[in-house]
Amino acid sequence: MMNMEDEEFELKEVSILSGHSDKVWSVSWKPTSEGSDVPSVLASCSGDKTVRIWEQTSQGSYHCKAVLDETHTRTVRSCAWSPSGRHLATASFDATTAVWEQVGDDYECVATLEGHENEVKSVSWNASGTLLATCGRDKSVWIWEMMPGNEFECVSVLQGHTQDVKMVQWHPSMDILFSCSYDNSIKVWAEDGGDDDWHCVQTLGEQNSGHTSTVWALSFNYSGDKMVTCGDDLMIKIWGFDLLKTQSGDGIAQWEHICTLSGYHDRTIFSVHWSREGIIATGAADDAIRFFIPSEDGLIDGSSYKLILRKDKAHDMDVNCVKWSSSENRQLASASDDGTVKIWTLASMHGNIK
Amino acid sequence: MESNEPNPERLADIFESSLHLEDTHYTQGYQEGYNDGLGPGKEEGREVGLKTGFEMGEELGFYRGCIDIWNSALMVNPECFSSRVQKSVKQMDELLLKYPLSNPEDESGSDILDSLRLKFRGICASLNVKLEYNGYPKASEDF
Repeated sequence: MMNMEDEEFELKEVSILSGHSDKVWSVSWKPTSEGSDVPSVLASCSGDKTVRIWEQTSQGSYHCKAVLDETHTRTVRSCAWSPSGRHLATASFDATTAVWEQVGDDYECVATLEGHENEVKSVSWNASGTLLATCGRDKSVWIWEMMPGNEFECVSVLQGHTQDVKMVQWHPSMDILFSCSYDNSIKVWAEDGGDDDWHCVQTLGEQNSGHTSTVWALSFNYSGDKMVTCGDDLMIKIWGFDLLKTQSGDGIAQWEHICTLSGYHDRTIFSVHWSREGIIATGAADDAIRFFIPSEDGLIDGSSYKLILRKDKAHDMDVNCVKWSSSENRQLASASDDGTVKIWTLASMHGNIK
Repeated sequence: MESNEPNPERLADIFESSLHLEDTHYTQGYQEGYNDGLGPGKEEGREVGLKTGFEMGEELGFYRGCIDIWNSALMVNPECFSSRVQKSVKQMDELLLKYPLSNPEDESGSDILDSLRLKFRGICASLNVKLEYNGYPKASEDF
Protein backbone atom coordinates (compact mmCIF):
# COMPACT_ATOMS: atom_id res chain seq x y z
CA MET A 1 0.00 0.00 0.00
CA MET A 2 2.89 2.36 0.75
CA ASN A 3 4.17 2.28 -2.77
CA MET A 4 0.70 2.60 -4.32
CA GLU A 5 0.68 6.13 -3.02
CA ASP A 6 3.54 7.06 -5.27
CA GLU A 7 2.09 5.40 -8.33
CA GLU A 8 0.03 7.02 -11.02
CA PHE A 9 -2.94 5.18 -12.38
CA GLU A 10 -5.08 5.10 -15.46
CA LEU A 11 -8.36 3.33 -16.09
CA LYS A 12 -8.32 1.27 -19.26
CA GLU A 13 -11.53 0.14 -20.88
CA VAL A 14 -11.37 -3.60 -21.54
CA SER A 15 -14.81 -4.27 -22.90
CA ILE A 16 -18.28 -2.78 -23.36
CA LEU A 17 -21.10 -5.22 -22.70
CA SER A 18 -24.15 -4.19 -24.73
CA GLY A 19 -27.38 -6.15 -24.78
CA HIS A 20 -29.65 -4.83 -22.07
CA SER A 21 -32.42 -2.64 -23.46
CA ASP A 22 -32.86 -0.57 -20.29
CA LYS A 23 -30.88 0.71 -17.29
CA VAL A 24 -28.40 -1.75 -15.83
CA TRP A 25 -28.72 -1.72 -12.05
CA SER A 26 -26.21 -4.15 -10.68
CA VAL A 27 -23.42 -6.58 -11.55
CA SER A 28 -21.88 -9.53 -9.73
CA TRP A 29 -18.63 -11.36 -10.51
CA LYS A 30 -18.83 -15.10 -10.20
CA PRO A 31 -16.35 -16.18 -7.51
CA THR A 32 -13.41 -18.16 -8.83
CA SER A 33 -11.23 -20.49 -6.86
CA GLU A 34 -7.75 -19.17 -6.23
CA GLY A 35 -5.31 -19.68 -9.08
CA SER A 36 -7.77 -21.35 -11.40
CA ASP A 37 -7.65 -20.35 -15.04
CA VAL A 38 -11.38 -20.59 -15.75
CA PRO A 39 -12.66 -17.56 -17.66
CA SER A 40 -14.18 -14.68 -15.67
CA VAL A 41 -17.98 -14.73 -15.51
CA LEU A 42 -20.17 -11.74 -14.69
CA ALA A 43 -23.92 -11.43 -14.12
CA SER A 44 -25.79 -8.18 -14.79
CA CYS A 45 -29.41 -7.26 -14.16
CA SER A 46 -31.57 -4.57 -15.65
CA GLY A 47 -34.75 -2.58 -15.96
CA ASP A 48 -35.46 -4.72 -19.03
CA LYS A 49 -36.48 -7.49 -16.55
CA THR A 50 -33.62 -9.76 -17.59
CA VAL A 51 -30.39 -11.03 -16.14
CA ARG A 52 -27.44 -11.56 -18.48
CA ILE A 53 -24.48 -13.84 -17.91
CA TRP A 54 -21.24 -12.70 -19.56
CA GLU A 55 -18.11 -14.74 -20.03
CA GLN A 56 -14.62 -13.62 -20.89
CA THR A 57 -13.21 -15.05 -24.09
CA SER A 58 -9.60 -16.09 -24.50
CA GLN A 59 -9.01 -12.77 -26.29
CA GLY A 60 -10.07 -10.94 -23.16
CA SER A 61 -13.37 -9.51 -24.42
CA TYR A 62 -16.73 -10.55 -23.02
CA HIS A 63 -19.69 -12.16 -24.70
CA CYS A 64 -23.22 -12.88 -23.48
CA LYS A 65 -23.56 -16.55 -22.54
CA ALA A 66 -27.16 -16.58 -21.34
CA VAL A 67 -30.19 -14.33 -20.91
CA LEU A 68 -32.40 -15.15 -17.95
CA ASP A 69 -35.69 -13.65 -19.02
CA GLU A 70 -38.54 -15.93 -18.10
CA THR A 71 -38.96 -15.39 -14.39
CA HIS A 72 -39.07 -11.78 -13.33
CA THR A 73 -41.95 -9.62 -14.49
CA ARG A 74 -40.44 -6.29 -13.48
CA THR A 75 -37.03 -4.61 -13.08
CA VAL A 76 -34.30 -6.87 -11.70
CA ARG A 77 -32.60 -4.57 -9.20
CA SER A 78 -29.84 -6.69 -7.71
CA CYS A 79 -27.95 -9.94 -8.32
CA ALA A 80 -25.44 -11.93 -6.28
CA TRP A 81 -23.49 -15.15 -6.83
CA SER A 82 -23.25 -17.50 -3.89
CA PRO A 83 -19.69 -17.87 -2.53
CA SER A 84 -19.34 -21.25 -4.24
CA GLY A 85 -20.51 -19.77 -7.54
CA ARG A 86 -23.13 -22.50 -7.86
CA HIS A 87 -26.12 -20.25 -7.35
CA LEU A 88 -27.15 -16.83 -8.53
CA ALA A 89 -29.76 -14.88 -6.56
CA THR A 90 -31.71 -12.08 -8.25
CA ALA A 91 -33.97 -9.53 -6.54
CA SER A 92 -36.77 -7.89 -8.46
CA PHE A 93 -39.35 -5.13 -8.24
CA ASP A 94 -41.92 -7.91 -8.84
CA ALA A 95 -41.59 -8.62 -5.07
CA THR A 96 -39.74 -11.91 -5.58
CA THR A 97 -36.17 -13.11 -5.26
CA ALA A 98 -35.16 -15.90 -7.63
CA VAL A 99 -32.35 -18.40 -7.14
CA TRP A 100 -30.74 -19.84 -10.26
CA GLU A 101 -28.51 -22.82 -10.81
CA GLN A 102 -26.40 -23.60 -13.83
CA VAL A 103 -27.50 -26.77 -15.60
CA GLY A 104 -25.17 -27.47 -18.48
CA ASP A 105 -25.04 -24.26 -20.47
CA ASP A 106 -28.43 -23.14 -19.20
CA TYR A 107 -29.57 -21.49 -16.02
CA GLU A 108 -32.59 -22.85 -14.23
CA CYS A 109 -34.68 -21.03 -11.66
CA VAL A 110 -34.63 -23.48 -8.73
CA ALA A 111 -36.41 -21.37 -6.13
CA THR A 112 -38.57 -18.28 -5.91
CA LEU A 113 -38.63 -16.49 -2.57
CA GLU A 114 -41.87 -14.66 -1.89
CA GLY A 115 -42.47 -12.63 1.21
CA HIS A 116 -41.79 -8.97 0.53
CA GLU A 117 -44.91 -6.91 -0.02
CA ASN A 118 -43.45 -5.08 -2.99
CA GLU A 119 -40.13 -4.13 -4.64
CA VAL A 120 -37.11 -6.16 -3.50
CA LYS A 121 -34.07 -3.91 -3.73
CA SER A 122 -31.06 -6.00 -2.79
CA VAL A 123 -29.87 -9.54 -2.12
CA SER A 124 -26.73 -10.87 -0.38
CA TRP A 125 -25.28 -14.29 0.56
CA ASN A 126 -23.42 -14.83 3.80
CA ALA A 127 -19.83 -16.08 3.77
CA SER A 128 -20.75 -19.75 4.00
CA GLY A 129 -23.52 -19.49 1.40
CA THR A 130 -26.16 -20.90 3.76
CA LEU A 131 -28.02 -17.67 4.47
CA LEU A 132 -29.52 -15.19 2.05
CA ALA A 133 -30.66 -11.70 3.00
CA THR A 134 -33.10 -9.51 1.07
CA CYS A 135 -34.54 -6.05 1.66
CA GLY A 136 -36.95 -3.71 -0.02
CA ARG A 137 -39.45 -0.91 -0.21
CA ASP A 138 -41.63 -2.47 2.51
CA LYS A 139 -38.89 -1.34 4.97
CA SER A 140 -38.18 -4.91 6.03
CA VAL A 141 -35.05 -7.06 5.92
CA TRP A 142 -35.49 -10.82 5.46
CA ILE A 143 -33.10 -13.63 6.27
CA TRP A 144 -33.56 -16.95 4.48
CA GLU A 145 -31.74 -20.23 4.97
CA MET A 146 -30.95 -22.51 2.10
CA MET A 147 -32.06 -26.05 2.97
CA PRO A 148 -31.27 -29.29 1.16
CA GLY A 149 -33.08 -29.65 -2.16
CA ASN A 150 -32.96 -25.92 -2.93
CA GLU A 151 -35.65 -25.24 -0.36
CA PHE A 152 -35.54 -21.85 1.33
CA GLU A 153 -36.90 -21.21 4.78
CA CYS A 154 -37.55 -17.82 6.29
CA VAL A 155 -35.30 -17.41 9.33
CA SER A 156 -36.42 -13.96 10.34
CA VAL A 157 -38.32 -10.89 9.18
CA LEU A 158 -36.64 -7.79 10.55
CA GLN A 159 -38.33 -4.46 10.96
CA GLY A 160 -36.46 -1.42 12.15
CA HIS A 161 -35.82 0.90 9.25
CA THR A 162 -38.46 3.58 8.89
CA GLN A 163 -38.06 3.86 5.11
CA ASP A 164 -37.15 1.95 1.96
CA VAL A 165 -34.13 -0.31 2.58
CA LYS A 166 -31.65 0.18 -0.29
CA MET A 167 -29.06 -2.53 0.30
CA VAL A 168 -28.21 -5.53 2.45
CA GLN A 169 -24.69 -6.89 2.80
CA TRP A 170 -23.29 -9.68 4.98
CA HIS A 171 -19.99 -9.24 6.75
CA PRO A 172 -17.25 -11.01 4.71
CA SER A 173 -16.42 -13.54 7.43
CA MET A 174 -19.03 -13.40 10.21
CA ASP A 175 -22.78 -13.87 10.24
CA ILE A 176 -23.52 -10.23 10.89
CA LEU A 177 -25.84 -8.45 8.50
CA PHE A 178 -25.78 -4.80 7.46
CA SER A 179 -28.52 -2.77 5.84
CA CYS A 180 -28.71 0.83 4.66
CA SER A 181 -31.76 2.88 3.96
CA TYR A 182 -33.61 5.93 2.71
CA ASP A 183 -34.01 6.71 6.43
CA ASN A 184 -30.31 7.83 6.36
CA SER A 185 -29.16 5.04 8.67
CA ILE A 186 -27.11 1.87 8.55
CA LYS A 187 -28.31 -0.98 10.77
CA VAL A 188 -26.31 -3.90 12.08
CA TRP A 189 -28.21 -7.17 12.67
CA ALA A 190 -26.98 -10.18 14.60
CA GLU A 191 -28.32 -13.38 16.06
CA ASP A 192 -28.65 -13.72 19.81
CA GLY A 193 -27.83 -17.31 20.70
CA GLY A 194 -28.39 -19.88 17.97
CA ASP A 195 -32.12 -19.51 18.04
CA ASP A 196 -33.22 -17.54 14.97
CA ASP A 197 -33.42 -14.59 17.33
CA TRP A 198 -32.07 -11.87 15.05
CA HIS A 199 -32.26 -8.27 16.04
CA CYS A 200 -30.70 -4.88 15.45
CA VAL A 201 -27.54 -4.50 17.53
CA GLN A 202 -26.50 -1.08 16.30
CA THR A 203 -27.84 1.82 14.29
CA LEU A 204 -25.35 4.17 12.65
CA GLY A 205 -27.16 7.43 12.10
CA GLU A 206 -26.51 11.12 12.00
CA GLN A 207 -25.80 11.23 15.74
CA ASN A 208 -22.92 8.77 15.25
CA SER A 209 -21.31 11.02 12.60
CA GLY A 210 -23.33 9.11 10.00
CA HIS A 211 -24.98 10.16 6.78
CA THR A 212 -27.47 13.01 6.56
CA SER A 213 -29.33 11.59 3.60
CA THR A 214 -30.11 8.28 1.88
CA VAL A 215 -27.38 5.66 2.32
CA TRP A 216 -27.11 3.84 -1.01
CA ALA A 217 -24.37 1.28 -0.55
CA LEU A 218 -21.81 -0.27 1.74
CA SER A 219 -18.77 -2.46 1.33
CA PHE A 220 -16.12 -4.10 3.50
CA ASN A 221 -12.36 -4.19 3.29
CA TYR A 222 -10.75 -7.59 2.81
CA SER A 223 -10.15 -8.36 6.46
CA GLY A 224 -13.59 -7.18 7.45
CA ASP A 225 -12.63 -4.74 10.19
CA LYS A 226 -13.57 -1.70 8.13
CA MET A 227 -16.68 -0.68 6.24
CA VAL A 228 -17.23 2.06 3.69
CA THR A 229 -20.64 3.65 3.04
CA CYS A 230 -21.86 6.24 0.54
CA GLY A 231 -24.98 8.21 -0.12
CA ASP A 232 -27.08 11.12 -1.27
CA ASP A 233 -25.18 13.49 1.03
CA LEU A 234 -22.15 13.21 -1.32
CA MET A 235 -20.07 11.73 1.48
CA ILE A 236 -18.03 8.58 1.76
CA LYS A 237 -17.70 7.36 5.32
CA ILE A 238 -15.24 4.85 6.71
CA TRP A 239 -16.22 2.86 9.80
CA GLY A 240 -14.18 0.46 11.90
CA PHE A 241 -14.79 -2.16 14.56
CA ASP A 242 -12.89 -4.59 16.74
CA LEU A 243 -13.04 -7.74 14.65
CA LEU A 244 -10.92 -9.85 17.01
CA LYS A 245 -13.06 -9.06 20.01
CA THR A 246 -16.18 -10.07 18.10
CA GLN A 247 -14.55 -13.23 16.75
CA SER A 248 -13.52 -14.27 20.24
CA GLY A 249 -17.21 -14.40 21.13
CA ASP A 250 -16.84 -11.53 23.55
CA GLY A 251 -20.01 -9.84 22.33
CA ILE A 252 -20.38 -7.84 19.15
CA ALA A 253 -18.09 -4.85 19.08
CA GLN A 254 -19.64 -1.52 18.17
CA TRP A 255 -18.80 0.17 14.88
CA GLU A 256 -17.24 3.58 15.06
CA HIS A 257 -16.87 6.37 12.56
CA ILE A 258 -13.24 6.69 11.43
CA CYS A 259 -13.35 9.39 8.80
CA THR A 260 -15.45 11.12 6.17
CA LEU A 261 -14.31 11.77 2.62
CA SER A 262 -16.12 14.88 1.41
CA GLY A 263 -15.63 17.32 -1.40
CA TYR A 264 -14.88 14.66 -3.99
CA HIS A 265 -18.41 14.21 -5.35
CA ASP A 266 -21.05 16.72 -6.32
CA ARG A 267 -23.81 14.28 -7.29
CA THR A 268 -25.29 11.27 -5.49
CA ILE A 269 -22.86 8.38 -4.91
CA PHE A 270 -24.80 5.22 -5.77
CA SER A 271 -22.17 2.57 -5.34
CA VAL A 272 -18.99 1.89 -3.43
CA HIS A 273 -16.76 -1.19 -3.48
CA TRP A 274 -13.55 -2.01 -1.65
CA SER A 275 -11.01 -4.13 -3.54
CA ARG A 276 -9.01 -6.96 -1.94
CA GLU A 277 -5.88 -4.85 -2.00
CA GLY A 278 -7.58 -1.83 -0.48
CA ILE A 279 -8.67 0.43 -3.35
CA ILE A 280 -12.11 1.99 -2.90
CA ALA A 281 -14.09 2.57 -6.11
CA THR A 282 -17.21 4.71 -6.32
CA GLY A 283 -19.89 5.09 -8.98
CA ALA A 284 -21.95 8.26 -9.01
CA ALA A 285 -24.73 10.21 -10.69
CA ASP A 286 -22.15 12.39 -12.46
CA ASP A 287 -21.28 9.43 -14.78
CA ALA A 288 -17.81 9.20 -13.24
CA ILE A 289 -15.86 6.49 -11.43
CA ARG A 290 -13.41 7.49 -8.68
CA PHE A 291 -10.70 5.60 -6.84
CA PHE A 292 -9.37 6.16 -3.34
CA ILE A 293 -6.56 4.62 -1.31
CA PRO A 294 -5.47 5.02 2.29
CA SER A 295 -3.00 7.83 2.62
CA GLU A 296 -0.18 8.16 5.09
CA ASP A 297 -0.01 11.90 4.55
CA GLY A 298 0.36 13.60 7.88
CA LEU A 299 -1.48 10.98 9.83
CA ILE A 300 0.23 8.30 11.84
CA ASP A 301 -2.80 6.07 12.20
CA GLY A 302 -3.44 6.09 8.46
CA SER A 303 -7.04 7.12 8.87
CA SER A 304 -6.95 9.30 5.83
CA TYR A 305 -7.77 8.51 2.22
CA LYS A 306 -6.87 10.19 -0.99
CA LEU A 307 -8.30 10.29 -4.47
CA ILE A 308 -5.94 8.60 -6.90
CA LEU A 309 -8.03 8.77 -10.05
CA ARG A 310 -11.25 10.22 -11.38
CA LYS A 311 -12.58 8.79 -14.62
CA ASP A 312 -15.02 11.33 -16.02
CA LYS A 313 -17.63 10.21 -18.55
CA ALA A 314 -17.00 6.58 -17.67
CA HIS A 315 -20.58 6.15 -18.88
CA ASP A 316 -23.06 8.33 -20.74
CA MET A 317 -25.40 8.34 -17.74
CA ASP A 318 -25.52 7.56 -13.98
CA VAL A 319 -23.14 4.86 -12.77
CA ASN A 320 -25.35 2.59 -10.63
CA CYS A 321 -22.89 -0.05 -9.59
CA VAL A 322 -19.13 -0.66 -9.44
CA LYS A 323 -17.66 -4.06 -8.52
CA TRP A 324 -14.08 -5.27 -8.33
CA SER A 325 -13.38 -8.70 -9.69
CA SER A 326 -12.57 -11.18 -6.94
CA SER A 327 -9.39 -12.25 -8.67
CA GLU A 328 -6.39 -10.02 -8.14
CA ASN A 329 -6.22 -8.44 -11.56
CA ARG A 330 -7.54 -4.98 -10.70
CA GLN A 331 -10.48 -5.54 -12.99
CA LEU A 332 -13.63 -3.53 -12.32
CA ALA A 333 -17.14 -3.82 -13.75
CA SER A 334 -19.50 -0.86 -13.86
CA ALA A 335 -23.23 -0.75 -14.63
CA SER A 336 -25.07 2.31 -15.86
CA ASP A 337 -28.38 3.91 -16.74
CA ASP A 338 -27.00 4.06 -20.30
CA GLY A 339 -27.78 0.33 -20.62
CA THR A 340 -24.20 -0.88 -20.75
CA VAL A 341 -21.80 -2.70 -18.50
CA LYS A 342 -18.14 -1.80 -18.87
CA ILE A 343 -15.12 -3.78 -17.81
CA TRP A 344 -12.07 -1.77 -16.81
CA THR A 345 -8.54 -2.39 -15.66
CA LEU A 346 -6.95 -0.02 -13.22
CA ALA A 347 -3.44 0.11 -14.56
CA SER A 348 -0.34 1.63 -13.12
CA MET A 349 1.44 4.07 -15.42
CA HIS A 350 5.02 2.96 -15.25
CA GLY A 351 7.85 5.36 -15.81
CA ASN A 352 5.95 8.31 -14.47
CA ILE A 353 7.81 10.16 -11.81
CA LYS A 354 5.65 11.98 -9.36
CA MET B 1 -64.67 70.37 47.38
CA GLU B 2 -66.32 69.01 44.43
CA SER B 3 -63.97 67.68 41.90
CA ASN B 4 -64.65 67.38 38.24
CA GLU B 5 -62.03 64.79 38.04
CA PRO B 6 -63.67 61.37 37.57
CA ASN B 7 -63.09 59.01 40.40
CA PRO B 8 -60.74 56.38 38.97
CA GLU B 9 -62.22 53.66 41.11
CA ARG B 10 -65.77 54.28 40.00
CA LEU B 11 -64.59 54.47 36.45
CA ALA B 12 -63.19 50.95 36.77
CA ASP B 13 -66.55 49.80 38.06
CA ILE B 14 -68.41 51.30 35.15
CA PHE B 15 -66.20 49.67 32.59
CA GLU B 16 -65.58 46.46 34.42
CA SER B 17 -68.28 44.45 32.69
CA SER B 18 -67.12 45.64 29.28
CA LEU B 19 -63.47 45.06 30.13
CA HIS B 20 -64.19 41.46 31.00
CA LEU B 21 -66.67 41.00 28.19
CA GLU B 22 -64.30 38.81 26.22
CA ASP B 23 -63.48 36.62 29.22
CA THR B 24 -67.11 36.20 30.17
CA HIS B 25 -68.16 35.28 26.68
CA TYR B 26 -65.24 32.92 26.35
CA THR B 27 -66.18 31.07 29.54
CA GLN B 28 -69.81 30.95 28.53
CA GLY B 29 -68.97 29.74 25.05
CA TYR B 30 -66.57 27.17 26.36
CA GLN B 31 -69.21 25.76 28.70
CA GLU B 32 -71.80 25.60 25.94
CA GLY B 33 -69.35 23.95 23.59
CA TYR B 34 -68.24 21.53 26.24
CA ASN B 35 -71.80 20.51 27.04
CA ASP B 36 -72.72 20.18 23.39
CA GLY B 37 -69.57 18.22 22.61
CA LEU B 38 -69.88 15.85 25.52
CA GLY B 39 -72.67 13.78 24.01
CA PRO B 40 -71.43 13.46 20.40
CA GLY B 41 -67.82 13.09 21.63
CA LYS B 42 -68.68 10.14 23.78
CA GLU B 43 -70.64 8.64 20.94
CA GLU B 44 -67.78 9.16 18.48
CA GLY B 45 -65.26 7.72 20.91
CA ARG B 46 -67.47 4.72 21.34
CA GLU B 47 -67.67 4.23 17.59
CA VAL B 48 -63.90 4.54 17.07
CA GLY B 49 -63.39 2.16 19.99
CA LEU B 50 -65.80 -0.32 18.52
CA LYS B 51 -64.22 -0.06 15.09
CA THR B 52 -60.61 -0.36 16.31
CA GLY B 53 -61.54 -3.06 18.77
CA PHE B 54 -63.31 -4.97 16.05
CA GLU B 55 -60.37 -4.63 13.63
CA MET B 56 -57.88 -5.74 16.24
CA GLY B 57 -60.07 -8.60 17.35
CA GLU B 58 -60.61 -9.67 13.77
CA GLU B 59 -56.88 -9.71 13.04
CA LEU B 60 -56.06 -11.58 16.25
CA GLY B 61 -58.88 -14.02 15.50
CA PHE B 62 -57.50 -14.56 12.00
CA TYR B 63 -54.09 -15.51 13.44
CA ARG B 64 -55.71 -17.70 16.09
CA GLY B 65 -57.58 -19.55 13.35
CA CYS B 66 -54.40 -20.13 11.35
CA ILE B 67 -52.47 -21.29 14.43
CA ASP B 68 -55.24 -23.71 15.41
CA ILE B 69 -55.29 -25.24 11.94
CA TRP B 70 -51.48 -25.52 11.85
CA ASN B 71 -51.49 -27.08 15.31
CA SER B 72 -54.16 -29.57 14.23
CA ALA B 73 -52.10 -30.44 11.17
CA LEU B 74 -49.10 -31.00 13.43
CA MET B 75 -51.13 -33.32 15.66
CA VAL B 76 -52.09 -35.41 12.65
CA ASN B 77 -48.55 -35.39 11.31
CA PRO B 78 -45.83 -34.00 13.60
CA GLU B 79 -43.44 -33.96 10.64
CA CYS B 80 -45.58 -31.87 8.34
CA PHE B 81 -43.66 -28.65 9.06
CA SER B 82 -39.95 -28.08 9.56
CA SER B 83 -38.75 -27.56 13.11
CA ARG B 84 -38.23 -23.88 12.35
CA VAL B 85 -41.84 -23.42 11.24
CA GLN B 86 -43.07 -25.44 14.22
CA LYS B 87 -41.15 -23.14 16.53
CA SER B 88 -42.62 -20.06 14.88
CA VAL B 89 -46.14 -21.49 15.19
CA LYS B 90 -45.51 -22.08 18.88
CA GLN B 91 -44.16 -18.55 19.32
CA MET B 92 -47.22 -17.08 17.62
CA ASP B 93 -49.43 -19.19 19.87
CA GLU B 94 -47.69 -17.80 22.95
CA LEU B 95 -47.85 -14.23 21.66
CA LEU B 96 -51.60 -14.57 21.11
CA LEU B 97 -52.09 -15.84 24.65
CA LYS B 98 -50.05 -12.92 25.96
CA TYR B 99 -52.08 -10.29 24.11
CA PRO B 100 -53.87 -8.01 26.61
CA LEU B 101 -57.32 -8.47 25.07
CA SER B 102 -59.29 -6.97 27.94
CA ASN B 103 -56.92 -4.14 28.77
CA PRO B 104 -56.82 -1.59 25.95
CA GLU B 105 -54.56 0.69 28.03
CA ASP B 106 -51.78 -1.93 28.08
CA GLU B 107 -49.41 -0.72 25.38
CA SER B 108 -47.63 -4.06 25.03
CA GLY B 109 -50.50 -4.94 22.68
CA SER B 110 -49.09 -3.02 19.74
CA ASP B 111 -45.63 -4.62 20.12
CA ILE B 112 -47.21 -8.06 20.28
CA LEU B 113 -49.26 -7.32 17.18
CA ASP B 114 -46.10 -6.19 15.34
CA SER B 115 -44.31 -9.42 16.30
CA LEU B 116 -47.33 -11.50 15.29
CA ARG B 117 -47.42 -9.86 11.86
CA LEU B 118 -43.69 -10.48 11.26
CA LYS B 119 -43.86 -14.11 12.47
CA PHE B 120 -46.92 -14.71 10.31
CA ARG B 121 -45.19 -13.35 7.20
CA GLY B 122 -42.20 -15.56 7.94
CA ILE B 123 -44.28 -18.71 8.33
CA CYS B 124 -46.24 -18.02 5.15
CA ALA B 125 -43.00 -17.46 3.23
CA SER B 126 -41.45 -20.67 4.57
CA LEU B 127 -44.60 -22.68 3.79
CA ASN B 128 -44.78 -20.95 0.44
CA VAL B 129 -48.44 -20.12 0.93
CA LYS B 130 -50.21 -16.88 0.21
CA LEU B 131 -52.34 -16.16 3.24
CA GLU B 132 -53.21 -12.61 4.02
CA TYR B 133 -55.35 -10.99 6.61
CA ASN B 134 -57.42 -8.58 4.51
CA GLY B 135 -57.34 -5.74 6.97
CA TYR B 136 -53.57 -5.92 7.29
CA PRO B 137 -52.08 -2.47 6.78
CA LYS B 138 -49.35 -2.50 4.15
CA ALA B 139 -46.13 -0.88 5.21
CA SER B 140 -46.05 1.03 1.96
CA GLU B 141 -49.43 2.59 2.63
CA ASP B 142 -48.35 4.13 5.88
CA PHE B 143 -47.45 7.35 4.18
